[in-house]
Amino acid sequence: MHDPTFWILARASGFTAYVLLALSVVAGIVLKSRPFGNRLKPATVTDTHRTLALLGLSALAIHAATLVLDTTIPLSVWALFVPGVSPYRPLWVSVGVLTAELMVIIYASFSLKKRIGVKNWRRLHWATYALFLGATVHGLMSGSDSSRTWALAIYLGAIGALTAAAGWRFLAPLTKGETYVPNLDRPAAL
Amino acid sequence: MYRISIDQQLCSGFGSCAETAPAVFALDSSGTVTLLRPESDEENVVEAARSCPMGAIAVFDASSGDQVV
Repeated sequence: MHDPTFWILARASGFTAYVLLALSVVAGIVLKSRPFGNRLKPATVTDTHRTLALLGLSALAIHAATLVLDTTIPLSVWALFVPGVSPYRPLWVSVGVLTAELMVIIYASFSLKKRIGVKNWRRLHWATYALFLGATVHGLMSGSDSSRTWALAIYLGAIGALTAAAGWRFLAPLTKGETYVPNLDRPAAL
Repeated sequence: MYRISIDQQLCSGFGSCAETAPAVFALDSSGTVTLLRPESDEENVVEAARSCPMGAIAVFDASSGDQVV
């Protein structure tokens, strides 16, 4: 009989990584746009943003490892790194692979920001929006729970939270009579 | 007493340091940080350094030279 332990862990860690990623991006936007003014200490928000990102990567590692260990879907280690190798929903799993790789690159870029240049680091950080989009598409299209009400609630909650935070970040300057001018040299969220 | 050092190359003008310890840090017209005092005995300089998202602020114990943040 098939032991479902790894399969359950793979699905649970996938959702966990997704929620942590969304919370990390929201924390980054809060850090940048300060919607709560002085009620939130910047040091606390900075620590929260970094910790959530690291926890998200940890959940992502568990997601990847348990997918290989489980036998419900025959997934090789190569399929975790190379897009198109997965026999299961190859297009949407490939989106997940590329999203995961981008997540690792963006996280690692913080330690390398002096080497790659702060301007390039800032530009790279704008890709966190694409990262969230990729994770949402991957989860919805390749997840086996996507039709369940609770799963849709998680996706809608994450999309709603991020839309609200990004909306504040881009629109709040307009209410103060300022015009938001996108500047790719400025960080998107961190 | 703390000795404060700023890596101007890393500063991205978030302003969290100036918000946390306004007697020590300020943002100039270009949006990057200016150090108002190179040394301070205010405890909030440690929190200000921790709050910098870019890790651009280093704080040292002035007497021992040990890095605090």
